[in-house]
Amino acid sequence: MRPALDQQLSQWNLLFPFEQAQVAAFMEGLEALSPAGLAALTEPLWSLEKKMGVKNWSFSETNDTIENASRLARSEYYDEWRQEVQRVFEAANAASRDSSAAQVERMRLILIVLPRSLPVDPQSIWKQWDPRGRAIRISGHSERICELLLQGLPSVSGIANLTARQSRVDSSDLWLIDAEAKLGSLCPLSSPSSASALGYAALKPFRDRFLAELNKAPKSIRVTDEVVSALRLESADGWGLWPAEIASQPRLRKFVIDLFLSGNGALIFSNAFVEWAVCEALRRARPRMIVARFGMRSRPKPFTSIAVFENQQKISSLPDIDDPENSAIDAVILARYIWLAACRYPEQQQTLCLCVSEHLDSGYVILPATKSLGWNPDSPVAPEELAAWLGTQLVS
Amino acid sequence: MDASRRNLLKTAAVLLVDGLANSSRFASCRTPIDAAARDDRKVIIVSCGGIRREETFLSTGLGNIPHLYHDLLPRSIFYPFLRNAGVTSHYNAISSILTGDWQRLDDWGGMPPANPTIFEYLRKHKELSQDSAWLISSNKALTSRIGASSIHDFGPRYGANVVFPKQLLINAVIQAASQGHPEHSADRAAMRQEFEAILQNADNYEGLGWSVSGEESYLDLRVRGSMERAIEDLVRTNAPVTGDEFTFLISEEVMRRFAPPLMAITFSDVEAAHFGSYSMHLAGIRTMDRLVYELWNLVEELPAYRGRTTLFILPEFGRDFDGSNTNGFFNHRSNDDSTSLTWMMCLGEAARAADVIERPVQHVDLCPTIAGMFGIRGLDLPGKPLPGLSA
Repeated sequence: MRPALDQQLSQWNLLFPFEQAQVAAFMEGLEALSPAGLAALTEPLWSLEKKMGVKNWSFSETNDTIENASRLARSEYYDEWRQEVQRVFEAANAASRDSSAAQVERMRLILIVLPRSLPVDPQSIWKQWDPRGRAIRISGHSERICELLLQGLPSVSGIANLTARQSRVDSSDLWLIDAEAKLGSLCPLSSPSSASALGYAALKPFRDRFLAELNKAPKSIRVTDEVVSALRLESADGWGLWPAEIASQPRLRKFVIDLFLSGNGALIFSNAFVEWAVCEALRRARPRMIVARFGMRSRPKPFTSIAVFENQQKISSLPDIDDPENSAIDAVILARYIWLAACRYPEQQQTLCLCVSEHLDSGYVILPATKSLGWNPDSPVAPEELAAWLGTQLVS
Repeated sequence: MDASRRNLLKTAAVLLVDGLANSSRFASCRTPIDAAARDDRKVIIVSCGGIRREETFLSTGLGNIPHLYHDLLPRSIFYPFLRNAGVTSHYNAISSILTGDWQRLDDWGGMPPANPTIFEYLRKHKELSQDSAWLISSNKALTSRIGASSIHDFGPRYGANVVFPKQLLINAVIQAASQGHPEHSADRAAMRQEFEAILQNADNYEGLGWSVSGEESYLDLRVRGSMERAIEDLVRTNAPVTGDEFTFLISEEVMRRFAPPLMAITFSDVEAAHFGSYSMHLAGIRTMDRLVYELWNLVEELPAYRGRTTLFILPEFGRDFDGSNTNGFFNHRSNDDSTSLTWMMCLGEAARAADVIERPVQHVDLCPTIAGMFGIRGLDLPGKPLPGLSA
């Protein structure tokens, strides 16, 4: 617990407002407990850690390290330990006067786009989605939905303007996460700090360098921790490789570095990047609006597919070839994972989720319990009508 | 896989095993099988990474495993409830399978198993030479230390040969990239230099073939040039080549040349899931399904194996459930049935009558079961002999 807290406190200015509120509430909760109450609360955890022999481990108290995680995970008491930590957090939060419930009141939006280039399977695409939602048909030109939502209609503002008008002005309220380079052109932002915009394509020079640095680490936990620590602390910022929309935002730069260091394919495949970035944004920032756009990945090249963790363009001179069918398989499950991630948080109750398959001119919409569709769901809906309806939901 | 690419891989595999057979370390292994090992029974363990039941033996996954389901299941003893109650990381899971006790080791392979492996029990009990026990692995998470335990009375002198064929391919690719000239990856002369450097790298633990006794990797000079040519061809081909395919071919060569009584093969193409590609994960499952079927056909074809071999096939664990806070199929860290509950199939000599054993079993049950098959009794292990198998 201490390494995680120390790490957060030492980089307070790089935390999102939601994270700051969360840490503050936890501290406040601890403070609210009497010394005897705090001792009683934490005693089972200390006893357990004693039994685990944590004191004898080479255990960083300042940072969450791979070594720390590895030692904990292979302890036979690991599951028990996780439950104890959870119990302490819950008790401290319950003791805090702060409540994050106030932030839950406004309608939130998650818009997920599966672009037309992805030939998804019409029979199975929505089969495993949340049964609370339903499939809808779009009358054509479904690419327009994203464009209209971002740019606005004569009757409804674009979502960037909506967010700016309705929220505290913080870029962590609106996230635009893109596998390719489409969203930026659809949504001219008033300033880089009005949204958190991350594009896998735009990050390419940075990603390539980052991957090369990571791959230098030998198969040693200690050395890898050193490499990770260097990347986390300073070295990556000195490369001059950040895209303009991120370069001026230290918090977003740190988010990207944390994202890449946490694995989950974010450095390797554009669609994994989109999914994992959204999951982390949901966990850490609880934004009001997210637009996530998946995309195409290249087919693994002959021979190099066995070294998928390497820069494919660097290790083979063969040209990249699109892999639409497999990109679609990846994007379909990852789109669903975004909604499943959102469901872990209370904000989900006020979240409207729309996943659009441009290829099928079809969508899947999940509404808060108090809302209903604004058109006959058995009929196709025009992009303009759908975008206008979404816009009105967000201002209501 | 088309015939030409398969032939290229096969050539590389043959040459690699040739190299091992002719190296000084393996000088004692030139006869296919030594006298002490001729007690006929053979066991092959195939572990295949982290695979969820829903992508395999549940109704949603049967399409991914046509050979396991249609061709092999009807003649197998099938255990639908195999539990990994230990650490669900590769090194720990495979060590637990091999030792019959739950291992809690450094995930990165920095520590040998804390209990004797089945390789050591077998070699010590039967006084077998090192060519009697092999571990051939695609998995990058393993190290040579998995071949023998830290137990004083056992240890490396009774350990297995441990070979990482996939690493040869990886090393070649990375070496070429490190030159900073992507066009070299399709250039024969340039690639030859890469291979030379890799093959001469004696202290590389991920070498082509090496024993747990700590001797240096060595590949016979006679075959080196041919091997370079075969792999250069591989670099220039236009279709994907997988690590598991190469691991299978090396395993086949070891079976033909050494016919070891005990061999463990670990496939890992499915681990592309860690990078977030579900389609590559499914492709890995289909490759595993096909390779296991080919392996079984090989067992039935080779006289040294036919009628005397027991083959176990099992995932090391599942993967995390959709919606888990560990990002679903990407990982295998959650403490949930999706991750810890998987299946096992047993074919061959010990599975004389097809059956489905619904009684829950565990990964650690494999070691005492195999020990029993080789007449090794009295092991005091948490794992218990598997039900339903012939003695």
